[in-house]
Amino acid sequence: MIDPDSLTDDDFRKLGFHAGLEVHHQLQSRRKLFCNCEPVLEEDPHNFDYSFHRYFRPVLGEMGDFDEGMLIEYEKGYKVIYYANERNTCTYEMDETPPFMPDMETITKGFILAFYFDCKAFAEEVVVNRKQYLDGSITTGFQRTFIIARDGYVPLQNGKKVRISNLHVEEDAARRVNWFDTSERTVYYNLDRLGVPLAEIITDHLDVDTPSELIETALQIGRVLRISKIGRRGIGAVRQDVNISITGGDRVELKGVQDIHMFDKYCRREVVRQHSLIEIQKEMLERGLKKEDFEHTYIDISHLFALPPKKKVFATIFPKMKGLFGKEIQPGKDFGIDIFEKSMLITGIPTDYHFHSDEFDENSVRKRNNNYSRIPINEELYQKIQTLLNTKDSDAFVVVQGSEKACMHALKKIIERVKLALDGVPQETRRVTPDGNSEFLRVIHGKDRIYPDTDTPPILIDLEKLEEWKKEVGIKPWELLEELSKRYNFTQNQVDLLIRDDKLELFSEFTDELELDGALAYTLLIEKPREFRRKHMPLTNEVIKRCARLLSKGIIHREQLNTVLEFLQENPDSTEETIKEHFSTQYNEKELEDLIKKELENLSFEDVNNKNMAFQLVLPNLVARIIGKTNNCVSGGKIAKMIENFLEVK
Amino acid sequence: MNDKQTDYEPPEGYRGELLERLVKDKIRTWAEIRITKGEAKYEGILLPRSLNTDDRYVTLKVDTGYNLGVFVDDDTKIEEIGYKKGKYKLPSVDAEFKEDLPNVTLLGTGGTVASRLDYRTGAVIPAFTPEELFSAVPELIPLVNLTPKTLYQILSENFQPQFWVKTAESIAKEIESGADGVIIGHGTDTMAFTGSALSYFLRNLPIPVVIVGSQRSSDRPSSDGPKNILYSARLAGYENFAEVVVCMHGGTSDSYNLIHRATRVRKMHSSRRDAFRTIGDIPLGKVDEKEITWFRDDIKPRGPREDFYLDAKIDDKVGMLYFYPGMKPDLLESMVDLGYHGVVIIGTGLAHVGTDMYTALERCQEEEIPVVMTVEPLFGYTHLRVYETGREMLARGVIEGANMLPSAAYAKLIWALGHTRDINEVKKIIQTPVAGEITPKEGPRGYLLMQGIERGIDEFLKHL
Repeated sequence: MIDPDSLTDDDFRKLGFHAGLEVHHQLQSRRKLFCNCEPVLEEDPHNFDYSFHRYFRPVLGEMGDFDEGMLIEYEKGYKVIYYANERNTCTYEMDETPPFMPDMETITKGFILAFYFDCKAFAEEVVVNRKQYLDGSITTGFQRTFIIARDGYVPLQNGKKVRISNLHVEEDAARRVNWFDTSERTVYYNLDRLGVPLAEIITDHLDVDTPSELIETALQIGRVLRISKIGRRGIGAVRQDVNISITGGDRVELKGVQDIHMFDKYCRREVVRQHSLIEIQKEMLERGLKKEDFEHTYIDISHLFALPPKKKVFATIFPKMKGLFGKEIQPGKDFGIDIFEKSMLITGIPTDYHFHSDEFDENSVRKRNNNYSRIPINEELYQKIQTLLNTKDSDAFVVVQGSEKACMHALKKIIERVKLALDGVPQETRRVTPDGNSEFLRVIHGKDRIYPDTDTPPILIDLEKLEEWKKEVGIKPWELLEELSKRYNFTQNQVDLLIRDDKLELFSEFTDELELDGALAYTLLIEKPREFRRKHMPLTNEVIKRCARLLSKGIIHREQLNTVLEFLQENPDSTEETIKEHFSTQYNEKELEDLIKKELENLSFEDVNNKNMAFQLVLPNLVARIIGKTNNCVSGGKIAKMIENFLEVK
Repeated sequence: MNDKQTDYEPPEGYRGELLERLVKDKIRTWAEIRITKGEAKYEGILLPRSLNTDDRYVTLKVDTGYNLGVFVDDDTKIEEIGYKKGKYKLPSVDAEFKEDLPNVTLLGTGGTVASRLDYRTGAVIPAFTPEELFSAVPELIPLVNLTPKTLYQILSENFQPQFWVKTAESIAKEIESGADGVIIGHGTDTMAFTGSALSYFLRNLPIPVVIVGSQRSSDRPSSDGPKNILYSARLAGYENFAEVVVCMHGGTSDSYNLIHRATRVRKMHSSRRDAFRTIGDIPLGKVDEKEITWFRDDIKPRGPREDFYLDAKIDDKVGMLYFYPGMKPDLLESMVDLGYHGVVIIGTGLAHVGTDMYTALERCQEEEIPVVMTVEPLFGYTHLRVYETGREMLARGVIEGANMLPSAAYAKLIWALGHTRDINEVKKIIQTPVAGEITPKEGPRGYLLMQGIERGIDEFLKHL
């Protein structure tokens, strides 16, 4: 296995790394997309006023066949329990009433968003589609989703334009709760989030070829959602699916990534996984293995074990596979476990109750990670199983424990997966785990699971409306960066904070109308609020605006900022006059010296006894206090110097 | 580009100028097309256009499977770049006849329990082959020998009384050929009407007849149809009862179904799964994954086939009026003029109509047209002896329908008039309980409508 942390950008390119994003961003709205419920979430998703349960099954597609992915979903046999609260759900979320007309305000926002990304092809007639999901996350079994536009882009700093292939607006799914055990056959969802409008922004999978470009792409998209004020804010408002492939591998989707900072790790680990799977494929081919070599023969070896009632143990032989199940494919995880995670999810047998013959090796991954199978197989049993299965030296075997039905099901899935290993990397949707690895969630859904929604008539988009909406597009984040870095030498980080804190309008008001310089406006809008928040004195926009006007009129100067802000916070009713009185006294050199002397005398003896100490501890405060009382436009540095001189004298 | 365009067919669903243009360029539905409009390019499959939509747009299915519409003006370029017509194919399911399983016939009349929608036109398309049914609900295979047959492909609002007759005849045929039970797949809207009619038509019914449908169509993964049909198959195949019943979800969860006597059931919600409720009584029984529980002891058991006969004589010149404040007698009078043979009136409260209606009632009396009264509150009996109005109405010959539901009364009057026009005979038939449409009494459980404020309701809601 390649060490994932050793990969450089060059390595990624050499491996043919490509990645795309599906950014799901909740949209600001007054109601949910297809009903009139308020889009508010429960603080604790375990709370509920009412609860009910359902089962789902796949339906025939338009062409009369089942989507492969959907069949696998059905095999999981989930019972789905819903928690719901009356304030944010109705019979629509319960799938007990057809949809209401979609929220036009949200659709409008979708189009405006598309203009931010310079989309070229718009849905001039919006057609609501259904996208099947059988995991229970949507009570209807399908998500209502529609294309707004196609063929846009976001620019990267290196000049690359990452194409946006599709921009969709859709309803968000329900929130999964009680997700601790993927072997569990009952799943729980809270319906509060179901129906909250989302934008889905999909980038072209071929356009990004290093993790850092991927991160930048995600950040750019996030900036657009923020600067346009179209995106909803808060935890969980944005979730990303990351599609990754390397040469010889295939597209694998990592689902529901919330933290952009984890992208790098996920990319590295997925690249390593795909690379290892390709190696395994090569090795299998070299050993002359063919799909027909793996037979669906499950041997009942229950008699070898003391088992709880209704439990059985079954084994299957995998010819010429010795050593391959034990091959590490992601840090701390071997090929066997990767397969077992899939059979666990589908059949409900925990990975602990799966065993593969490489586990017994001296230095096996499972041993190293103290992740033993709980099927009690010792040296003696191992031999017995080998005899029963009639294995040769080069063969491997797998053992599972569970109900008879589940065992057969699991072994069937494992054999099918091993056959797929001959094709390399299977297309899968995977769930990221906290350690940065990922596990099987479902096979990638095909386009067969998308079909038109007969409940909602198509919505015509007036071409004049499109023109109108285009005018509502403000400055784009990359344009803003260019402008502010040119004018004030701002960094991306500074611009991001202005966007994130929603201070752009004030910033341009301060700089353009009040004619403050950019750095000062930035300090006032970004740095001071943070400083004051740390002091538990959060600043209101009102105070900041008053301060800016005082600065602009020359009533106070920048060195006085802290004291003035404090004063304004404490005296919200103060007039310009009182402020002038307080802060505008002009001192001559002598008066300033006296003031400093007086302030120093107020300090206790110990304070000034040690000069260094005094300097470090009291100086900043002292300087601020003195500056606060003057309006001489003397710099802090000068006052510090004067204080220093006094201390020397003393 | 496909060269063979000899068998060119104009694109389905397109109209007007756009159609002319597509025809001129020989562009077909299901062809891959490219549309160019200034900077914008769209590629995808040209789909048939649904009816009642704007005729200046084309519908495209793009590579991701999504559909969208594009406005076509004079500057829009459309070209065909490929063609592949999808073939509708069915999964093959091996469901062979098993000697030890009960034989159940599923008669399809339309509706959504075992049909699928044509997404392109929104129409219900025949999807009633055993293959489809069994691939959608494979659990049926080991349960019963199920033979699906299609009677109609209609939405239930398009049902006609003569369709009830044909349905009854088909059931009779199944009974004769030894079916252990019959399931009727039916649109939910008028299920209660059909059910009532069948209850009167099928005399000495020897086997269960279960009417079933779905409130979420079977093209949806959350459909209630599969569970409904499974439970119905269990009822029809195995249970010892011989009545016409409706078997639909009892709650919003997929947890249990209720078994309703068809003459007492009513659809009480426009869309919920548990829309069907027994009115004025408790349901006959309940079925879930584990068991079937019967709640009553007046359920008719299976009987000898020899005793069975079909009595499906009808006269469908019957109408129904819903009395409202301000109703004028002219409506009822014009029914007489139009030659109606009988009328059901849903009257207020105890089954009253306003005094304005008296003249029309007199006219009916004169012409010997039976007027059967039922109650607007749905629950409770007609009582025309309590108030003066009622007595006046009785004096004008109206027939009290007791606690018959309007649907049950309507079907019954049609059936009664099929046998006789003699007003006294009709009255006798109407007022004699035939299949539970009139109950001798109503107990405290007959009327339980919760208002959401009852004590303990919060706990109840947590386990729907």
